[in-house]
Amino acid sequence: MKRTDFALSKLFFDLQKGPAAAEYRADRVAVIDRYGLEPEIRAAVLADDVAKLAPLVNPYLLRYYCSAAGMPEAEFLEKIRG
Amino acid sequence: MAELAGVFAASHAPLIVRDWHLLDERLKAKLTSAYQRLGARLRSARPDIIVEIAPDHWSNFFIDNLPSVCIGVGATNAGPPEPFMQSFGHPTLAGEPQFAMHLLETALASGFEPSSSQRLALDHGFCIPLWRMEIDPLPPIVPIVINSLEPPMPTIARCIAWGNLLAQAITSYPFDARIAVVASGGLSHSIGEPTMGAIDEVFDAGCIGAFETGGERAVIDYLERALVTAGNGSHEVRNWVAAHAAAGSRGFELIEYLPAPEVYVGCAWASWGPHA
Repeated sequence: MKRTDFALSKLFFDLQKGPAAAEYRADRVAVIDRYGLEPEIRAAVLADDVAKLAPLVNPYLLRYYCSAAGMPEAEFLEKIRG
Repeated sequence: MAELAGVFAASHAPLIVRDWHLLDERLKAKLTSAYQRLGARLRSARPDIIVEIAPDHWSNFFIDNLPSVCIGVGATNAGPPEPFMQSFGHPTLAGEPQFAMHLLETALASGFEPSSSQRLALDHGFCIPLWRMEIDPLPPIVPIVINSLEPPMPTIARCIAWGNLLAQAITSYPFDARIAVVASGGLSHSIGEPTMGAIDEVFDAGCIGAFETGGERAVIDYLERALVTAGNGSHEVRNWVAAHAAAGSRGFELIEYLPAPEVYVGCAWASWGPHA
């Protein structure tokens, strides 16, 4: 049974709240830096590297996150399908 | 003494609400008709209490504290937190603490260890079926969350056991009450995965066949095998399994099956006796 990355999951979980998502869209780096992500994961988040993030987090949270971050659904589907 | 008023199941999908204005008119008519037909059956069962079994879509729980099963024992639960659900018009929903505590105590006395919550947020998984079935006024809702989002999840056999336990709790409740069971979720769907949007009609047909056939073994054998390759959202069928067992594992009556890639879900609606 694979384990997901806790810090990444927590970031995505917290961004379900409207004000948090708005803050994230305004200053992504400031929010990310509160979560202590591993450097490689942090880089993947900043690069919108959905394929790299997918194995590290629950798929529902991944989808919620991409929506909260402002990624259009069509772009998310393209990225997740590789 | 309480009695089981009926057992029902329906799919849910956020896009049924969030993107309703974008959906094809024929699809909207089919979705509306299916929910309304199921709602008519539920209303005719005249439930005093609805026990609703649904997943939690990260509204209440996170991986720092993730129950396999949680029973809502509060007098009040919060309505759906999702912005797209605010038109539902229920910022809170009444619970039924007396029956809920009886269910919790029956479970603990029978070797089950659920968590409990005095206030859950009932997200779209709980509220879309209630809304679209047009259950108004709503009777008190006793929510049961079965984890079907984050592995590992309860086995299908354990969901059968939970359904049997729920039936036992209903029939042993020493007050006059008509108690209906509503399962929400499934059938096949895939969310946030490379297969997102795919409907597995073969999986869905297998589910429907197993539930129609009745019994416990057919359901367990099929789902333990087929869920391995079905989309992640398909795991919500655990709620249907518990409902199936609560109904005595009799075969169900399928009211409608509608594979709807527009809302990402293989949608189905069904009821088990006594109103099947």
